[in-house]
Amino acid sequence: MLPLEYGRSEDRDIIVRDRFDGFRREFLRTLVNPEVIEEHRQSALGQHSERLERLLIYFRQRPLEQRYAVRAIEPFRRYQVVRLSGRRGVPPRLVDDAIYTSANDARHGLFLRCIRDLLET
Amino acid sequence: MAQIKIFGYADKISVKPGDTIQFHVSADGTSTAEAHLVRLIHGDEHPHGPGFIDEEIDCAANGTWQVEKQFTQVGAFLEVADPDRKLALDGSITLCAFIWPTWPDVGHRQCLLGRWDNDRNHGYGLGINPSGRLEFWVGCGNEVDYLQAELPLQKQAWYFVAATFDARSGRATLYQEGVVSRYNSLLSKVAPVEYRSHVSEMFRFRQNNLPDTPFLVAGSRDWHALRGHFVSQLYCGKIDRCGVFDRPLDHEELDAIRSGGQPPLDGMVAYWDTTKGYTDRGIGDLVVDIGPNRLDAEGYNRPVRAQTGYNWNGRNDCFRLAPHQYGGIEFHADAMIDSNWNATKTLELPETLRSGAYAMRVRGGDGEGLAEEYIVFFVRSRMPTARIALLFSTATYLAYANERFATDGQIVQPMAGQPPTISEVDIEIYENPEFGAGCYDTHADGAGVCYTSYRRPMVNMRPKYRIAAFDLPWNFPADLSILAWLEHKGYDYDVLTDEDVHLEGVAAMAPYACILNSTHPEYHSERMLDAHEDYIAGGGRFICMGANSFCCNVAFRDDEPWIMECRKTGGHWIAWAARPGEYYLATTGQMGGIWTGFQRWGQKLVGNTFAGEGFAHSQPYRRMPDSYDPALAWITEGIEGEIIGDFGLGNGGAAGIEIDCYKLGFGTPPNTKLIASSGGHPDNYIAHDEEGAHAHQGFSGTHNYILRADMVYFEAPNNGAVFATGSIAFGSALPINGFENNVSQLLSNVVNAFVRPGPLPGSNRPRKSTAGLERVAP
Ligand SMILES: [Fe+2]
Repeated sequence: MLPLEYGRSEDRDIIVRDRFDGFRREFLRTLVNPEVIEEHRQSALGQHSERLERLLIYFRQRPLEQRYAVRAIEPFRRYQVVRLSGRRGVPPRLVDDAIYTSANDARHGLFLRCIRDLLET
Repeated sequence: MAQIKIFGYADKISVKPGDTIQFHVSADGTSTAEAHLVRLIHGDEHPHGPGFIDEEIDCAANGTWQVEKQFTQVGAFLEVADPDRKLALDGSITLCAFIWPTWPDVGHRQCLLGRWDNDRNHGYGLGINPSGRLEFWVGCGNEVDYLQAELPLQKQAWYFVAATFDARSGRATLYQEGVVSRYNSLLSKVAPVEYRSHVSEMFRFRQNNLPDTPFLVAGSRDWHALRGHFVSQLYCGKIDRCGVFDRPLDHEELDAIRSGGQPPLDGMVAYWDTTKGYTDRGIGDLVVDIGPNRLDAEGYNRPVRAQTGYNWNGRNDCFRLAPHQYGGIEFHADAMIDSNWNATKTLELPETLRSGAYAMRVRGGDGEGLAEEYIVFFVRSRMPTARIALLFSTATYLAYANERFATDGQIVQPMAGQPPTISEVDIEIYENPEFGAGCYDTHADGAGVCYTSYRRPMVNMRPKYRIAAFDLPWNFPADLSILAWLEHKGYDYDVLTDEDVHLEGVAAMAPYACILNSTHPEYHSERMLDAHEDYIAGGGRFICMGANSFCCNVAFRDDEPWIMECRKTGGHWIAWAARPGEYYLATTGQMGGIWTGFQRWGQKLVGNTFAGEGFAHSQPYRRMPDSYDPALAWITEGIEGEIIGDFGLGNGGAAGIEIDCYKLGFGTPPNTKLIASSGGHPDNYIAHDEEGAHAHQGFSGTHNYILRADMVYFEAPNNGAVFATGSIAFGSALPINGFENNVSQLLSNVVNAFVRPGPLPGSNRPRKSTAGLERVAP
């Protein structure tokens, strides 16, 4: 059964991708716990536990318009979280006013947004 | 008040004291800027290092400059020199072309060929209208008549298209036929797609030709109050043979051209045989008219030659083997190889300038953010006296110029193991195609960018810049950490660039006993690679400072060294893939892609090359048994313990970002010693297996010992030698703790031994020279 919003889409690949992502998200939601979030807070880059790696791989593979990025206002001092437009030439837009004082803090703020998106859908 | 923005470039990247250099600056929001020459010493602002360091230098150009907003013509097209206005056809016309549109539904008009003034609506043209259909039009100012095909064009399909116009009767006809073969297009004949359209209509108006309208292929003339004349209606796609006649060709005549027959001479005004003028050594920008008037066309912004044509049959993979099947010229609406700005300032460089990395610093207003520009260039020595040279990888800088992969690359976040960290200037170039792209990007129409140049602002060849995808200084700003180390240690050194090595070969390298290259010496022309090989074999001592070394093959024309061509093919770590049959460099006729494809693995030159990359996290090296060999103990002299480089500005380790390894099967010299090695990199480090094995589970860092940076050393003939770090992060470890650390110690040991004349320490090689090889270094 095709949901109606796919009716006019020529590219069936998108339907499969969304369905695959549905199953994937269902499983990934079971991996979210306070330990995973704390692990990321302490170390945003590098090797992580299997649980956290799986979540991060998924977040980094989202369609471009669903991905976030860090915006360096002043390197090593002030950062924000933005969302990519997914449209060539259209700049990323701010998602909130939060200012982070390190790139890793901003990466963690971004991670928390990804977690929220995952749990809310 | 508008935000102040300053951007600029120099006409040369490598100069000598006393040479003349031109600076081209464009400014928004100000008419004056403060310029000052600086010598650049350190470029990474990471708080664990020394920060940005430069030195102001007196010169005649320092002071207040008058600056203005300058405009850039983007888009590739052909312009026909037609001084006698043979193409200002007032009567009947036929226009015809083989076309392969890549973006017919872009939503604005694309002109294929015509003598059309888009601002004043005068002349005639054949193009693709905003609904993606073939269209022919004639205009006389207030009135324009149009005739469009019944159905939109398919992307990436070859067509033969024509428009005929009988000026007496006013009958206009469109001829559109697919010429899709088993090989030449996106779809095969099993797809039930309609390509054909034949329509006809009586026009009420006749064209009026303005005297100075140029005949263009892939664009049309336009005008803007501030810019003056420019070219718009730019086309995305390929055009093969095309022509103009001064009578309406009939259906049978058009059928004959479509089937590969010679175009009729009767009425021919121009016929561009896009396959003419090819040589075994490459293809230029001139497109030859075989018609009676010799109205050759010249490419602007380097239309891509050597592309497959409408009749490509898949048997040959290079224009040299079947030129007549390689008539495709590819156009991109956002191609850009030269800003062509007016010169803002010309400077004769002081004779007393020492060799180094320099920049003209140009600041408008408060000089903050985009109001500050550094126009970087390199000054060589006129008479080399230093024993050391630092070779800056300007070819690699060109490849990465103004890349936008953090925002557009689907694969970049999983590769980088992190989200991008985007700065203001990244957004500026993202919004403005006038900056042009690098060879890591694709054009908006989806094709890979194969030409890049330094005659435009290169925002990432600047001190302080951090690459968005990896949040690291990348290439030039990272390479300054090596320069700062040489400064700190008090070595007498000169600088060289890839351009010097390309243009002069080994002669540029020969004066130096020891050459260090950069953190990421990835891109090399054949001449550059040959020069390195001859330098080392001839007794030169070479320190390969970086990784992903000597991997990619690129080409330059001798008379335009600021433009580089790069075709991406081979290996599974390329940013885009050249289309089938389009692997060869139009510049030289050589295959593009990676040197692996030529049996010239980087290992054959420096003992190691590409193992993989992961960017987000670096590791230390561990000493390997060879480092304890008494004959090699000089390399690690003064270093305590097993671990080398568990620190660094490049993600906390000296081994990482991109890493290279030793491999005897790929030509690592058998006498190579392994001094130290990393390993256990995170799983976002993926092995780039050049043996062509299937990708499989366990390719990644924590599972795969191949993912490592190998620090290797070997002796070459004639007292030559190579030391290679195998890691991009190595250079960024040097500045830690005021340049006093074990990475710095190790590099000093090597440099000190390499600059000393005579045999290398611990050498057990016979003293006599290897027959047939000439010693190069003093
Ligand atoms: Fe690279």
